[in-house]
Formats: sequence, C-alpha cells, structure tokens
Amino acid sequence: MQKSFIAQNPSVLWFLACLGVFTLGVTILSEATGTGVISTSFVKTLGKVLCLCLVAIAMDVVWGYCGILSLGHFAFFGIGGYAVGMWLMYARTEAIVIENLASRTIPPTPVEVNEAIATQIFGVVGSSDFPLIWAFSHSLTLQMLLVVLVPGLLALVFGWLAFRARVTGVYLSILTQAMTLALALYLFQNDSGLRGNNGLSGLQNIPGFEAVPQSVISMGFFWASALALALGYVMFARVLSGKMGSVIRAIRDDEPRVRFLGYHVESYKLFIFTLTAVVAGIAGALYYPQAGIINPAEIVPIASIYLAVWVAIGGRGRLYGAVIGTAFVSLLSSWFTGGGAPAVDLGFYTIQWTEWWLVLLGTSFVAVTLFFPGGIGRVFDKFARKSS
Amino acid sequence: MIRILTFALALLCLPVALFAQDLQSLLQTHQKVVAKPSRKSVGPVLDALVNSGLPQVPGFLEQWQGKALYVRKEDGVFFYTSKGSEGLTLIDISSGETSATVDAKTMKQVKPNGGVRKAIGAALVQFQLSDPNIERRRKAVESISQKLDASQIAPLKASVAGEKDAALKLRKERLTGYLTARFGTDSAARVAAIEALNNDLSVQGRAVLSQILEAELVAAETVPDANLAEVVTPGSSALSREAAYEILVTKHGFPPRVSDNDIRLALEANVEGGKAGGVPVVQLDDLQKRELAYDTLAARGLVQTRVSDADLDRAFGEWGFYQTYLEDDTAVTAAAREVQKTIQTKVSLNQAADLGLDAISLASIYFLAAVGLAITFGVMGVINMAHGEFIMLGAYTGYVVQQFITNYTLSLVVALPLAFAVTFAAGVAMERLVIRWLYNRPLETLLATFGISVALQQLAKNIFGTQARPLTSPGWLDGAWIINDVVQISYIRIAIFVLALLFLGLLLFILNKTRLGLEVRAVTQNPRMAASMGINPDKIKMMTFGLGSGIAGIAGVAIGLFAKVTSEIGSDYIVQSFMTVVVGGVGNVWGTLAGATMIGVFQKGVEWMNPSNTLAAQTYMILFIILFIQFRPKGIIALKGRAAGD
Amino acid sequence: MAGSAIAADCSVKVGVLHSLSGTMAISETTLKDTMLMLVDQQNAKGGVLGCDLEAVVVDPASDWPLFAEKARELLTTHDVDVIFGNWTSVSRKSVLPVIEELNGLLFYPVQYEGEESSKNVFYTGAAPNQQAIPAVDYFLEELGVEKFALLGTDYVYPRTTNNILEQYLQDNGIAADDIFVNYTPFGHSDWATIVADVVALGEDGKSVGVISTINGDANIGFYKELAAAGISADEIPVVAFSVGEEELSGLDTANLEGHLAAWNYFQSAESDANAEFIDAWKSYAGADRVTNDPMEAHYIGFNMWVNAVEAAGSTDVDAVRNKMYGQEFQNLTGGTAVMLPNHHLAKPVLIGEIQADGQFDIISKTAEVPGDAWTDFLPSSAVLKSDWKDLGCGMYNTETNSCVQLKSNY
Repeated sequence: MQKSFIAQNPSVLWFLACLGVFTLGVTILSEATGTGVISTSFVKTLGKVLCLCLVAIAMDVVWGYCGILSLGHFAFFGIGGYAVGMWLMYARTEAIVIENLASRTIPPTPVEVNEAIATQIFGVVGSSDFPLIWAFSHSLTLQMLLVVLVPGLLALVFGWLAFRARVTGVYLSILTQAMTLALALYLFQNDSGLRGNNGLSGLQNIPGFEAVPQSVISMGFFWASALALALGYVMFARVLSGKMGSVIRAIRDDEPRVRFLGYHVESYKLFIFTLTAVVAGIAGALYYPQAGIINPAEIVPIASIYLAVWVAIGGRGRLYGAVIGTAFVSLLSSWFTGGGAPAVDLGFYTIQWTEWWLVLLGTSFVAVTLFFPGGIGRVFDKFARKSS
Repeated sequence: MIRILTFALALLCLPVALFAQDLQSLLQTHQKVVAKPSRKSVGPVLDALVNSGLPQVPGFLEQWQGKALYVRKEDGVFFYTSKGSEGLTLIDISSGETSATVDAKTMKQVKPNGGVRKAIGAALVQFQLSDPNIERRRKAVESISQKLDASQIAPLKASVAGEKDAALKLRKERLTGYLTARFGTDSAARVAAIEALNNDLSVQGRAVLSQILEAELVAAETVPDANLAEVVTPGSSALSREAAYEILVTKHGFPPRVSDNDIRLALEANVEGGKAGGVPVVQLDDLQKRELAYDTLAARGLVQTRVSDADLDRAFGEWGFYQTYLEDDTAVTAAAREVQKTIQTKVSLNQAADLGLDAISLASIYFLAAVGLAITFGVMGVINMAHGEFIMLGAYTGYVVQQFITNYTLSLVVALPLAFAVTFAAGVAMERLVIRWLYNRPLETLLATFGISVALQQLAKNIFGTQARPLTSPGWLDGAWIINDVVQISYIRIAIFVLALLFLGLLLFILNKTRLGLEVRAVTQNPRMAASMGINPDKIKMMTFGLGSGIAGIAGVAIGLFAKVTSEIGSDYIVQSFMTVVVGGVGNVWGTLAGATMIGVFQKGVEWMNPSNTLAAQTYMILFIILFIQFRPKGIIALKGRAAGD
Repeated sequence: MAGSAIAADCSVKVGVLHSLSGTMAISETTLKDTMLMLVDQQNAKGGVLGCDLEAVVVDPASDWPLFAEKARELLTTHDVDVIFGNWTSVSRKSVLPVIEELNGLLFYPVQYEGEESSKNVFYTGAAPNQQAIPAVDYFLEELGVEKFALLGTDYVYPRTTNNILEQYLQDNGIAADDIFVNYTPFGHSDWATIVADVVALGEDGKSVGVISTINGDANIGFYKELAAAGISADEIPVVAFSVGEEELSGLDTANLEGHLAAWNYFQSAESDANAEFIDAWKSYAGADRVTNDPMEAHYIGFNMWVNAVEAAGSTDVDAVRNKMYGQEFQNLTGGTAVMLPNHHLAKPVLIGEIQADGQFDIISKTAEVPGDAWTDFLPSSAVLKSDWKDLGCGMYNTETNSCVQLKSNY
C-alpha cells in the first residue's frame, strides 16, 4: 500500500526532499546552529512562511480538490493561535505572580493567585476577572487539545448546518466570510475576554525556556513548522489518493451527479471541511509563537481572501502549488513592503513600492485568474509531464 | 504711546477709591480674576460690575464673553482692540476711543472658558431680556434655560408682557412655568405650573419634574418625619444589602465589614513565632483557616470582630431605609409624581418611535449600499467584490466635485450624475475586460474582482491619502426634522431614505416595465434563448452591470455625505451588502429591501437591549444572518419556479 | 546588543519605527518626517559625540506582528542605538518583548493608557493623569458638569482610560448612575441613537458633558450627528483626547467649533521655541502642514536623548538611561520638561477650544504635571510604583515592598 501510494504520488517524495534540503540549509546558515548568515528575524519569517504554507495546502484541499471556496479558514488559523496564546500568557504570568506572592509573610490562597494572574493579564485592558473561556488555560495539554477541538467543532457545526441546507458556491463563500467577520468583531470587543484589540502578546517568550535565547527558540519553531508541513502534506496526499480522493474531486466537478450515484456528498464535504480546519488550527498554533502577538486584526475577512489568492497564484488542485504560491507571494510581499524593492523612477513620477505593491498584487492577481488559471504550479506540471 | 504711559502711571499713583465710578478702576480692583477668570471666582466680580450701575457694563460683559477683551502685559490695564496691519489698535473700555497701535506681543487676550461665559451670560440676562435687539433677547432666554435659578423669575415675568415676538414669548412663558414649578412660593401656583407640564416631553420639562422629585436615601430606626417617597427594603433591586449596610457604617457608626484582604493584612501584622492566631503560617493558604485564625485574634481583642450576615440581618431588623423628598410640600410632590408618570409613558412610546426611525434610517443606508448589488449579484449572479470600491469611487467623485464647485447644493447636483457616470464607466470597463471571460466560473469572478478591489483601494490611498476627506452637505440638509422633543431625525437621513425609495421605484420600473428590463430578465434566465430572439446578450449584460455599478456610485455620494469619505468606505459595507442581498433573496429587488429592513431593525433592537456596546450588536447581527441563511437558504423572498434558475 | 559607537567608527544610528503604509500611516508618517528633521537639525549642529547621526527608517506597515519583526531587525541587523517609534498601544505591546530581550531603547511619543512601565521605554506622551484627569477636573470645576457620557472606540486606550475616569468621578461624588459608558467600533458612522441617548441623560436636570476617546474617522460622524441634533458646545460640551491639529486639518470644522480637546501641546501655544519649531517644520515639510502633540513629544524626547548621550559620553543603552533621569529640556509651550525616574515626563496640560480654522484656542493651562505610570485611582494599581533610578523596578508594590516583575507586562 505504502509503495503504491508513493508510486502514485511521486510529487510527495520530491516535496519532502526539497523541504528537507531547505530545512537543512537554513539550519546551517542560521545564527543558533550555524554560520549566522541568516538572522534570527529572518528565521522567524521563514518559519512563519512554512506555517502559512501548511494552512495554504489545507485551503487547497478544501477549494482546489473539493470545490468549496472557504473564505473562513484564517478564522480557524487564528483560533489555533489564540488557544496556544492563552496557555503561553497564563503560564508566563503565573510564574511571575507566584514568585512575587512568595515574598509575602503568609502564603497566598489559590483565589489570591488566580486574582493576581487575572490582574496581570487583563489589567492592561481595564479588567481583573478571569473570563470563562480561560478555564483551561492553566494546562498545556488541555489547551493543546483546544487547538484541535475548537476549530474542528466550529467547522463541524458550521459545515453541518451549511451543507445540510445545501448552501453551495458563492453563497457558501459569503457565509464563511460572514463567519470570519463575526468572529473578528467578537474578538475586537473587550468583553470577549481575550483582551480585545490588543490580543495576546509576548508569545515568543516560552514559559520554562526563559534562559534560552530567541535564536535557539526560533530554530526550534522552524523545525517544528517544517515537520508539521511535511506531515500535513503526506496526510493530505494520502487522503486525496485512492477512492476517497476520486469522490472528493468528483464532488468538485459535478456535485449532483455524485449524489445521484449514491454517495453521501455532505459527509465527504463535512469531513474535508473539518479536517482542513483542524490543520489550519495547528498551523496557527505554530505560527503565532513565532509572530509574538495575535489580535483580531489577524483574522479579518481579507486575510482569508489572501489565502485563496496565494493558492490561486500557486495553482490550485496541486498541493505543491499551494506551497509555491504562498512562499512566493508572502516573501515577495515582505520584500516589497519592507522597502527592499528599489523605487522606479518614471521621470514624471517615482513609484514607491510600499505604496504601489498592493496595486501590483491586485492587478497581477486578476491577470493570473484570466490568463493563467493553472498558476505557477502549471509550469511544474509541464516539466513533470515532459520528464515522464 | 507716551499718553498711555502717563495714563497708566497716573492710574497707579492715584488711590483707586477716587475712580469708584470708573469701569477700568473697578476692573483693576479685581484685575486677577478678570484677566484669568474661573467659574468659581467670577461671581463676586460679576455682582460688583452689575451693582456698580455703570452704563458701560452690559457692553463690557458682552465683549468679555466674546473674548474681545485684552490685557496689557506690563501693567494689567484692560482694552478692547481692533486688528490692524501693524498690530493691535487699543480702544479704551470706558470711553470707546481708540488710543494707540501696539505690538500684539505686548497684549494678552482674555479668554474666559465655557463655564465663565455661562456665568457672564447669566449676569447679562437682566440687561438683555427687554433689549430691542431680538438676538440679545434670545440669548438671555437661552441663558436662563441653561441654568434655572430662582432669582430669574421676577425679571423674566416682567419681560413677558412686553415681548413682541410670538415664538420667543411662548418660550418665555414656558420658562416662567418651569421656574414657578421649581421655585415658586405659593403651593397652589406650583401645582398648577406642574400640571401644565402634562404634555411637555422636552428634556428640560422632564428635568424640572425630576428635580422637584429629588430624593435622598436615609436610614432611621423609626419612620422619619419628612416627605416620604417610599420605603426601601435591603436586598431588593433598588438597594443591595451591601449598599444598605454601607449607609449604616458611614452615617451611623456601625463597624465596617472585614474583607478577605483585611484578614490577610491583619494576619500578616500579627505573625508571632511562625504562627498567626494560633495557626501555623504555612497553613494560611486556605481561606477558612485564615478566618479561623482571624477570629482567634479578634477574640483576643487584637482586631475588629468580623461582621456576619446574621449581624446584617439584625441591623436591618432594627433600622429601616427610606427615600425622602428634599421638597417638603406634599401637594407639590404628589402632583409632580402624577405628571411624571404620564409623561414617562409618553416618552417611552416616543422613544420607541425614535428607535424605529433610526432603524428605518439604518435600513435605508444598507439598502442603498446593497441595491447596486441587487442588480449585479441578485439579477445577473455576478459576484463583484469591487462593489464597495465603486461606492468609494462615487464618494471621492463627490469630494473632487466639491473642490471645484464651492456651492454645496450645486456641487451635489453635479456630483450625483457625475458619480453615476464615473462608476457606470468603471463597471462597463470591468465587465468588458474581466467579468465576461468568467461568466461560467463564479468563484473565479469573486477572486478576480477581489484583486480589482485591492488595487482600487490602494490607488485611492495613493491619490487621496489615508485621511478621511470632507464631503459637506448643503445647508438645507443640516439640522433635523423635529417631530417632538423626543422623536427627531436628521434631514440627511431623510434624504437617504428618499433616495433609497427613489432607487427602489426606479429599479422596479426598469426591470418590470421597460424593454431593457424585459431583456435583462430574459438574458439572465436563458441567454441562448434570449439570443435567438434577437437580443444581444453581451450588450445587455454590459448595460446591466453598468447600471448596478452606477447606482453604487450614487450611493457612495450619499454615504459620504452622511459619514465620511475614506478609501475604506467600501470595505466597511461590502460584507453587509452581500448579506443583505442573500438574506433578502437573490434575484429580487423587493428581497433586498426586505433584507435591509430586517438587518436594520435587528441591529437597532440589539443596540437597544445593550446600549453600551455597539460592536456586540454588529456581531450578533451577523451571527443571526448566518443562522437565518442555514434555515432559509433562499432568503426571505425566494424566487419560485423557472425564474429560480435551478 | 545595541552596541556603543564611540568615535572609532563614528556612526550613531537612530532607528525610526513608524508605519509608512496601512491605516496608521496618516498619523505616523508625520512623526517619521519629524524625526528626520530633528536628525538633520542635530547634524547641522555638529551631531552627537562628534559623530553624524544616521536615521534608519523601516516600515512596519500598521501590521502589529510586523512591529516586533522590524524592531528586532533594527536592533540586530542595523545595530541602532535608539529607536523612536510606535503609535498604537497594541504595536507598543508587540515591540516590548523584543526591546527588553535585546536591551534596546525606545521613545514612545503618544498619549496612552498607562498601567505599564518598561526599563527600555521612555514614555514622552501623556499618561492618563496628564490628559484625562485634568480634563475631567476642568469639566467638574469650570463647566460644572454633573453627569458624564464616556464615549469611546472599543480598544485598550479608551477602555482603560474610562475605567480610571469612572473610578475618579465616583471618588469626586458623581454617582455611578450618572456615568454613561458606550463603546463603538473603529470607523463607526451610525451615531443617531447614541447621540439621542446622550441628550436624554439631561432629563434629570443635571448638566451633561461628553468625554470622548473616540478614535480617528469615527469622530466626523459623531460631531455631524451632534450638530444635526442642534446641540452646541454650550449645552453639551465634548472634550476629546484623540482629536488634534493633524486630525482637524482638511476637515470641515464648522460642526466642531467650541468643543474641546486636551493635550500637552497645541500649535497655537505662544512661545519663541514653538514659533521656531513651527517655522522649521513648515519649511521642512510644507507650508500647509500643522504641528501636534506627539511631534512635541518626539522633539523633547530626541533632544533629551542627545543631551543624555553627551553627558554619558557614549551611546551605550544603560549609560544613556542613567543620564536620562532628571534631564531637563525646554518644552514648546513655555515651560520645562523633566524626565522622571518612572520614565515619564512632567508636562503641563492644556485645554483648547476648537476654532473655525482648525486650530485650538487655549483656555486653560496647568502647571507641569508629573506623569504617573500606575494610576492612583484603581485599587489594583494604586499600590504600584515605578522607579527605575533608585528602586530599579517598574512595577514595585509599595504594600509588600517587593518588585512584582522586572519586565513589563505585555
């Protein structure tokens, strides 16, 4: 079985090889474990890109293979980030508080400890009570379970309602977008209990690893992200091969026909929707400790649309296409907006890329949709076909 | 210059008393307060000025109030001034003669703050109430109404008879009524004045009543001998047990309750040999143990005994809590109470009506933002994510037009059709260049138009900057239509409502009664059949898309007038607009209307229930829509039969 | 990390961390230009320690995680000696862990909610007791307001400020029922209901005032709706903490005339230093540009830093920080700003009335108020004290005499 899976999907081996070489290269060049050619902040950027690639392949599976254009997958990504962020904040603050309270003459009661932690975490947003959502934040295990469970359950309930009501096509896209918007608006409220607009910050400081320099921590997360991407890739490749994959692709191409053939279309869609949501949640949980801060601005609807844009530019319906598109566009984007791109002097007007990059991105995106519906991945397809 | 100096010198040398009749010297005795007035210190000065009987005082007060008074830095003498090219020309405050022109830097403007200006206004009242100039009389009445005061009754009453302006006379009579109700000396007259307020919904009228009914919460062992409003029981919603006991603590010397934190502090202060209150310190991380230890300390008389719930019950058994009116006259309070009750019912009804108006207004804004989509998305089935940016284009068109045409009415007349033309052209261009290649790929249309949306938004930022731009409405749209003192709605919102109605009518007419509408419906239902009947589907689609986009442009002008013009104006409305169309039911202008109404009403309803958090209202609104669509996927008004398409 | 640069290689680098694109660009670009102007001026005067200053400008693009990334880049890749930057609180919270980890130095120029003290940050903007509290005092004392509407945009600055104010008002005898609090989203435009609610507050005969922490564009709709309802500044005065010259420029101020704003600086302040600063700014950036409060904060902060570096004889962060305490510099409103051991400035508080030309008429000016990192009006922070000079702690609990934490709370 394993052999035939690899034989059917030679791209998996190629991908894993490329990823391995890339990871090795970064390790050798990094500050912590190598020559220091690549700075810590760039290692963090690369690690984040790997996480984005992971959520992008999830997006590719749900859209490129199953035909559901979800504009809400970044919501799941954000939920994953919030779930891990809660533990990071709680554990970090708990250590500070316990150390401080130990200096008192009489030992603190559990209630006092809890109150002190709450004041530390929520003091900056003008509150000092623990909201109910934080009930599990003291436990890493429970909170890690939430990384998987909350996006999964949300996707399951939302998907069940939507697919059952046969909401499809653009209607579903709008509905998923509404879901993201509702979540973002909810989190923007201070009353949500997740520190409103400020979000959760200082996530790069891992409790228990205070003495470890950031250059080492960033490498750890980089490796974890690479591993997660590799596992995710293999898992999705397996899911999509064989009979199951054929059914999923068939749903994309003609949903009613698959239904008439006797397949329970809704279950397949629900399975894919939920699975990809869970993967998105895991990707988010790896991403935000590297970014250092998560707040509601991260999950506004436009973020999810960008996700679709990356996949489309990379070429949907190919897992490696999603990876290529994401890496290409997000790195290019940080190069352009970071002021790295040289300004173009037209004589009468100078194009500053920090201002014009979005115009370029927008128009090139239209061009890709119109003229290269296969995206960048198409080039690789042609190459692969020639060689075989 | 020399003359002024000598004058100043003379002023400094001569005893102030000699100039008792002179305004300047009177001011000099209060120099500091006049130059830097504060609400609390200005009273005596105003009294002195008014009592001096000097003829220049009213004029002086007006100038002072209007920030026209200057003080010379070197000697503190006051002047009026007029600005010239070489500096300030000084005008003597007593004689009104111009004296000299000096460098502006040597003078300091006296700037009374808002509170002082009000006090000056109140002092001016007696001079202005019967002034021939109606503006001054209005100001005086305004001044009285801002702060009702017993001393104003007599002058106001005296001026009513001579008042020629009918509206102002009415206002004066009303004010006299308020003053009588509150400060009158005759009980019967007060009751009559209060009963006259029966139909008065104004905030001020209500304020008079609630001030008469101002009450104080007192604790007493026997029922107090006062004008009693009600008896309050501790533990009810009006008075919590804690709050009730707090009154006993602060006013009647009861021992205060001991908080957990107090216990901790007391124990910390009484640690002896690793123990506090007989309990080892290490065990004190438990609240019950801490209480035990504390009670031990209390028994030894080291700390105050804890106050238990039983103690509270005992205290409440002995003491009663009473709301007593500050007003002693029972007839007056009874009448006021009666009138307040009737008014409150009326006010609630009117507030509901006002909220209804707000909901309709919000619905019409949503409708206006979404109506273009009702055509491009609803009728044609094209997802246009750049719709919001068309709204933005329209708004910026309005802004640009105002830069060239300064008459706001005229600029609006030009801007509306121009915005239509601009966005119509943009829509047609987009349809020709992008959308027509993607008619059978709706998801890709979504993404391509999103690309356009991103590019357009950034372009707008590059051209106009990220700051909001003003789009000023003409004067006749300023202000509000005031139905009564509670229900009112601004004209600009009415205009948007009318515009929304116009669009509704226009679209219904175009779609149902014109050849274009017939062709549009034919093309959207079955393009091939339509083509075989001699209709050019390409042209029809182009025209329809242009129409939808053009309407978005006009909506943009309207939304810009009502709020602001920024590059993000479109993205603020885009998701809501799509949901409005989907909720209402695709393919139907009536559906969009229904959707907008439902969303507007729902959002205002949530806001009403939770007035302190507007964001929550928006969140719940979207959640509600998501659920609604799950159970009614085709929207409120679903198309049936062949027109439904699938 | 931010190593010292003494005459040897002779380059003193000043990092500028302000958004040049995205939603905050409009406010922050001005501050970037201010910094470039100040650096130019200092170089014309001979630089620092005999070296020319070099400004390193990066663009965090109004993206909060990107602020952390760019701060790390400035401190490690560019080796800057000091950073001037940030506007929003959330961006500051994003940068804090990085600055503290790498022992950098940040000057933060915007009024903020307090409740924070970092060893590596100097807060040159106003703390709540330097803006909000005096403004409320003005309402209570001078305008005789008895009932308050606290209207704010839903984010951390209004939330914390309003919390402090609620407590402060109650301490001053305003009943809890007489305080109406409302939060709206960013860019809110539908104000009719809220304005009606505010007007209805007057129904018990108390005079009503509005304390506005409404942010940015949303103010436009709010003032428009107030005007439409026929409410003048005399009837219901509004004092805003986020509306300054920059926000008013290019706006139709007809609806705002007579309403108030509280800041530590107004362009209309009369002093020679201010006239000079305005002239320099107009010739640097354009005749139609205005100056505002955060610009003055950068002006004071930058000059204090220059003096501290000269006094320390090095740009080493710890040496400079020690020389910062007690630094005095002439502020633009005619007084002297002093850097306190809690990393805040002592500054005067000004209250201005908005005029038709978009400038402010200053009607009240206090003496210098020392900034307070931890407010005295909330029980949980009243016991906290910040003193980096003698106590070496930014979050010192005076009740237990212990340092709660050395890092700041982010």
